Amino acid sequence: MTGPILKLESVSYCYPDGTRALESCSLAVQRGQRTAVLGANGAGKTTMFLHLNGILRPLAGQVCWDGSPLDYSRGGMRQLRSKVGLVFQNPDSQLFSASVREDVSFGPMNLGLDEALVRQRVEEALLAVGMAESADKPVHNLSYGQKKRVCIAGVLAMQPETLVLDEPMAGLDAAMQEELTAVLEGLHASGMTVIIATHDLDFAYGWADDVIVLQSGRLLANGAPAEVLMRDDVRKTLGGTPLVAEITASLSLIGVELRANGYLPRSKSELLKAINAQAGRESKS
Amino acid sequence: MLIEQSAYSNRWRQVSPAAKGIFSLCGMVAAFAAASPGTALLVALIMTAASISGAGIPLLRYLRVAAPALFFLLASGLSLLISLDLGASTLGVSLHPAEPELLRIARVCCRSLACLAALLFLTLTTPLPDIISLLRRCKLPDTLLDLMTLCYRTLFVLSEAIHETITAQSARLGYATFAISLRSMGGLVGNLIVQVWQRSQALHLAALARNSDGALRFLENPHDNTSRNIFLAAASGSLVVALALILP
Repeated sequence: MTGPILKLESVSYCYPDGTRALESCSLAVQRGQRTAVLGANGAGKTTMFLHLNGILRPLAGQVCWDGSPLDYSRGGMRQLRSKVGLVFQNPDSQLFSASVREDVSFGPMNLGLDEALVRQRVEEALLAVGMAESADKPVHNLSYGQKKRVCIAGVLAMQPETLVLDEPMAGLDAAMQEELTAVLEGLHASGMTVIIATHDLDFAYGWADDVIVLQSGRLLANGAPAEVLMRDDVRKTLGGTPLVAEITASLSLIGVELRANGYLPRSKSELLKAINAQAGRESKS
Repeated sequence: MLIEQSAYSNRWRQVSPAAKGIFSLCGMVAAFAAASPGTALLVALIMTAASISGAGIPLLRYLRVAAPALFFLLASGLSLLISLDLGASTLGVSLHPAEPELLRIARVCCRSLACLAALLFLTLTTPLPDIISLLRRCKLPDTLLDLMTLCYRTLFVLSEAIHETITAQSARLGYATFAISLRSMGGLVGNLIVQVWQRSQALHLAALARNSDGALRFLENPHDNTSRNIFLAAASGSLVVALALILP
């Protein structure tokens, strides 16, 4: 079970209105990893996600799941969509049903599972996103963040191997972002491949194992965040670099080399810990 | 919104929708079985009492929900009272209908009142998703029920969109004068049409992503003591019907 779980091979896509969204875009997503997809608005992130789930079909090139090209027949799509779960950005445009439990059951019911199994999966999914207590509430009485979590539960209930989220943090306050990060961390720990589109460089730097940077429908960079996000061309297209990385680099210019647990600090808390440790060492010597 | 609130927070929320449906249906049958206006009025009172003291819906809220329907009932009752006397030599409007006519009008009004109370009982105690799943079990066509589900959900999404647009328009003085208001209203409608189109596309994509093949299938909510509740509802409902039949 090695090799990328999802792969785009020079995929091109053009919307009916003439917008060229992807142009000969090639990239790979590694199994079991946390992948962040970055890019300016209109860079093709959402279009790429719709390809991963088989909703859009490339005009040229191909998409591969587990090494073999996607099967666009009805049965093939059914199988793919049970393995690749896609959560869209706006929760109001993906919740159909009036009550939380009903909505979450939509996916597993479509998989044709029997009722007892659906019921069990729905409860598990609601528990995983911390919404079990709101199961009987009507959807329109939930807050924005709660709706987002219901959307994620709706996809989790289908038990996908890969979870694809389009800007899950957009519109959430800091506390809710933290909660959602914890949920995602739990899913990753259980072995799920998680792909996230985001504009938050600091989050991508701290969270991802692998980043994909898109620019005008093409792949600009793909690799470890510490390398990719410090590149000049990437900095130019994304309009900045992660703060933690920048501070670490600036400190090294004045001769302070920071290491947290043997690697460069990736989050604010790791950075502070490394600075404190360094200060402790210097006061001792 | 008032109906929503009651449906989700009344004392009989967890009672199976089938039981509530049967009781409500019995109420309507009784309304038609009632021979005199007084009996129909009694049926209306029983159904109202069931909603208010049984399901614990506050009286004031009940009246506010019933008010529009009551207004229509009053208006149509009054219009029945005024009959045009075309046959007589002096063409005119008569405000004093004959005795049997008056009785018929009273019967129609009281019967409508009883039916209204029976329907309000169902809508105020049962959330719409439960009513839809009940109708699904009654083998109503899927297309109709899917439409109901989507309409119900989009009602809230659209009302929010309307609210947001109006706020945004007002913030830029969109409703300052009558002429500007008209233009803003036009803008609102145009914008909503586009939004409806875009949202329907988004819903379609989201459904595809969750393996939909067209039909909307959901899990039904479990309810307590279903068979016992149904038995109780059927028994008390039959009692109401029997009462309506026995009384003159």
